[in-house]
Amino acid sequence: MYKTVIGLEVHCELKSNSKNFSSAKNSYSTIPNSNVSVVDLGYPGILPVINKEAVKNSIKMALAMNCDIPDYLTFERKNYFYPDLPKGYQITQFKNPIGTNGYVMINVGGKEKKILIHDTHLEEDTASLDHYNTYSLIDYNRCGVPLLETVTEPCINSADEAVAFLEGLRSIFLYCDTSYARSDRGQIRCDVNVSLMKEEDTELGTKVEMKNINSFSSVKEAIICEVKRQTEILNSGGKVLQETRRFDESKGITYSMRSKEDAIDYKYFTDPNLPPIKLDKKWISELKESIPKLHNERFRTYTKDYSINEKDAYTIVRDKKISDYYEECIKLKGDPILVSNWLTGSVIGYLNKMSLTIEQIKLTPQMLVELINLISSGKISSKQGKTVLERTLETGKSPLIIVDELGISQIDNEEEIRKIVLEVISENESLVIDYKNGKRVFDYFIGQIMKKTKGRVNPSLASKILKEELEK
Amino acid sequence: MSKDILKMLANKMMFTMNEDEYDTLLEEFNIILKQMDLIGNIPNIEKIEPMTFPFPLENVSFREDCVVDELGVDDILLNSEDNLYNQVRLPKVVE
Amino acid sequence: MALSIKEMRNKLDNDEIKSENLFEESVKKANYYQKEYNSFVTIVSDYKDYGQRETLLSGIPYALKDNISTKGILTTASSNILKNYVPVYDATIYKKLKESGAILVGKTVLDELAMGGTGTTGHTGIVRNPWNKERLIGGSSAGSAAAVALGIVPFAIGSDTGDSIRKPAAYGGVVGFKPTYGRISRYGLFAFASSLDHLGVFTRNVYDCAMVMNIIKGHDDNDMTSLPDDGKDYIASLERSVKGKKLFYIKEALDNSNKDLELGKILNNFEKVKEKCKKLGIEVFEESIDKDLLLALYPTYMSISCAEATSNDANLTGIHFGVRGEGNTPEEIIKDARTKGFSELIKRRFVLGSYILQKENQEKLFLNACRIRRIIVDKINKLFEKYDGIIMPAAAGIAPKFGESSDKLSDKYLILDNHLVIGNFGGYPSITIPSGFIDEMPVGVNITGRICEDDVVLNIAYQVEKSMEYANQVALGDDKNV
Repeated sequence: MYKTVIGLEVHCELKSNSKNFSSAKNSYSTIPNSNVSVVDLGYPGILPVINKEAVKNSIKMALAMNCDIPDYLTFERKNYFYPDLPKGYQITQFKNPIGTNGYVMINVGGKEKKILIHDTHLEEDTASLDHYNTYSLIDYNRCGVPLLETVTEPCINSADEAVAFLEGLRSIFLYCDTSYARSDRGQIRCDVNVSLMKEEDTELGTKVEMKNINSFSSVKEAIICEVKRQTEILNSGGKVLQETRRFDESKGITYSMRSKEDAIDYKYFTDPNLPPIKLDKKWISELKESIPKLHNERFRTYTKDYSINEKDAYTIVRDKKISDYYEECIKLKGDPILVSNWLTGSVIGYLNKMSLTIEQIKLTPQMLVELINLISSGKISSKQGKTVLERTLETGKSPLIIVDELGISQIDNEEEIRKIVLEVISENESLVIDYKNGKRVFDYFIGQIMKKTKGRVNPSLASKILKEELEK
Repeated sequence: MSKDILKMLANKMMFTMNEDEYDTLLEEFNIILKQMDLIGNIPNIEKIEPMTFPFPLENVSFREDCVVDELGVDDILLNSEDNLYNQVRLPKVVE
Repeated sequence: MALSIKEMRNKLDNDEIKSENLFEESVKKANYYQKEYNSFVTIVSDYKDYGQRETLLSGIPYALKDNISTKGILTTASSNILKNYVPVYDATIYKKLKESGAILVGKTVLDELAMGGTGTTGHTGIVRNPWNKERLIGGSSAGSAAAVALGIVPFAIGSDTGDSIRKPAAYGGVVGFKPTYGRISRYGLFAFASSLDHLGVFTRNVYDCAMVMNIIKGHDDNDMTSLPDDGKDYIASLERSVKGKKLFYIKEALDNSNKDLELGKILNNFEKVKEKCKKLGIEVFEESIDKDLLLALYPTYMSISCAEATSNDANLTGIHFGVRGEGNTPEEIIKDARTKGFSELIKRRFVLGSYILQKENQEKLFLNACRIRRIIVDKINKLFEKYDGIIMPAAAGIAPKFGESSDKLSDKYLILDNHLVIGNFGGYPSITIPSGFIDEMPVGVNITGRICEDDVVLNIAYQVEKSMEYANQVALGDDKNV
């Protein structure tokens, strides 16, 4: 058996109004060449000017990944010829990345693991190429979009860990509001390095790099498939070649792109157009303050302090907006478990059904807590609660008002209940004898009481009084 | 240094030269590399921080995140000799 | 008759002449001299009336080096690969000049992509020295130097990466100034070696130079390396007294132990300039700099400039601009475009630059050059604690004849022909002014000062110029045919 060793390089487009080095719009567009400036096109004479927002977002991410931040912001050029790279070089950070020596915690199968971050660096995206039968077309919209590349140490040991890391990383982007991180728009992409080694080996095996995998599920498949390929090679006494391979999603195989000998020498050197900028320590600490509690920490709080089951806790933390909503409910003194039940059940069910986000619905945290309090205080039954929730979601009226309008508040006045109980008993005298003979008719009486009150009677009070009257 | 290395270098820079040009280049390389050796003669050079900017630039500031300059498609394509559907066309890129 | 900017200004302000007439006169001269001297890639034929502006350059004709981006006007960098390129944006310097009301007459020939010092490698042919057609004028700002020397325009913009303004100024008998790095925005200047590239100006006297500088200097948000505005009026600084200013020259650079005849004449000329300085109250001292360091100037420059150039010119693929190559794959069309689009010299420099930047060579060849650069700049800065500037002959001889000097790297070279690059290494303001004639060819003297003291350099140059009689000289001044 071999131990799998995986390193990931994750590229994620950052959110901003304008591009990393130009003032063209940073926006996903399906209209080709609609957000392009002379700087993006690399025309002779253009110069890059660094965007503050992109720097801000990359520092936030570096801090959220527990990285060290350098004193100065500096950039290098990575030189290579390719039709999607109009300048003939990409501006990136090689010597002095915006974040180094960090880590991200992941949770796989209930076990926590620290994934070490070698570095995270700010760079620019390339143009995109649309391929047709005999030709390709260049769309420069994506060219120059700020891109954050995060490089892990080779410390990931399974496809599941890799996916857990990717999901964790995406979640950090979303929690920090630094990226949309949508795989379907290629906003988050991944290079995967895979090697195998024997348990007792001290040195890593030969690594194979798989470039530009778009979805997390493909990352998983690619790893499984590459591990299988390498295992077969090693088992048959062969040697794994150091190379770059491409994963073909449709066929589920990897094939060779280029060997180590053809590896490109990127000839990195300092970009002479971008002088070092001193990073203000005060600004960095402000940015650190601005980072919200991340999903990991929230997950721990929910499961440990609130005793919520892992599945529901995961459902809540997966979307920061939902988690924020949940925490707002807790702040309003909602019962953590009840809020979680209602949120992960009916509310998220409604969101999915209507394709809405939590921000788009009319139910405020205040209303949800009000509803839960109505139920726990016995004012309404939980079945009625569902009806009230539906009406609140529809109308935006508070549960109290709905309850009032529907006239469904629970009957919990003992005298009133006793009157109804007696009525039902008098209507079914023969059954009273059956009851006394030990027949199971109690529930029938309850049913009749519910029918008479349209379910509004407080069930526990009703059964208490019924029992008293029957046993008189 | 050999002509083959020079050919490989030229190829990586995406052009070719003709045979006598490589000869001249080889001659020139030998001269320039000898001159470059002069650089190595300076004592303790490795301890010095390489210089990129002529002098330290103080108070360099960031660009505020505003959308200002964008080109129309006509300008984007003005200098391209082969266009289709508002995009630059080229022979199929095989990845 | 070739008027200075100041003279044109007076005539315009007194309604003795119209800007349109100045423009027509310039265009006429440009066309007249074009065949013989080849200063221009493009001559603008129609006069654009920018209206009367309240600036000193309003209505003044001028020329731009053809590596400066001009929207809607062909800009080739004198390279075949860009022979059809029409920019869609304006360089900041061009924008400023347009806004000042100055009138563009044409785009001038350079050494291809500004690489080279001869003015012989442009795609439209060689530029000849107006003082002697058998000689070159030097480069890379060859056309700009020639256009000013011929009296076609009173000023022209050039760029200077090693000495590309200040050397041709000396060979052409005109004033050539490169200010402090970042004083003029580089936005729109086709990059050769970004960390060494400067824009600058050719005029026929230092006063005109200050007039132009006042307009084109200033901070630009599009160039992160551009300096904050210095708020200085360079014209006002010209008349200050230079008494007590201290300059030095580098002893090792003026070594003529080989008794070279031409160098002897250069040194003789320099002695005269020193005497003039003394009369002005400027003290001139001799300083020594380690000869190994001076010998390393040229290889250091070659290493840094070629390395940066390979990257800066990697956008020249003929894909979305420039001449498209032929082929069945993207790689083939890029290779075809670059193979046909670049001359041999450019290719040689790219191969060299690429070799220098390779992973295995970078430390020894590139980074060591960057280290030498720092040692040299530190040394000069140390000397600048004592001195206001350097004064040196601008070149080791008069303009060479065609074929005499070659852009092939020569094994033997002189420190005196490469010292101007110090100004690029440290970003110092540096000016060449005419200082007389040797064998009927003009020679010049160079003054280089501390960073951000552009006004001091212009001040000294102005006073030295005034003490001599070479301001406002025009080659072929008597040519009655124009």
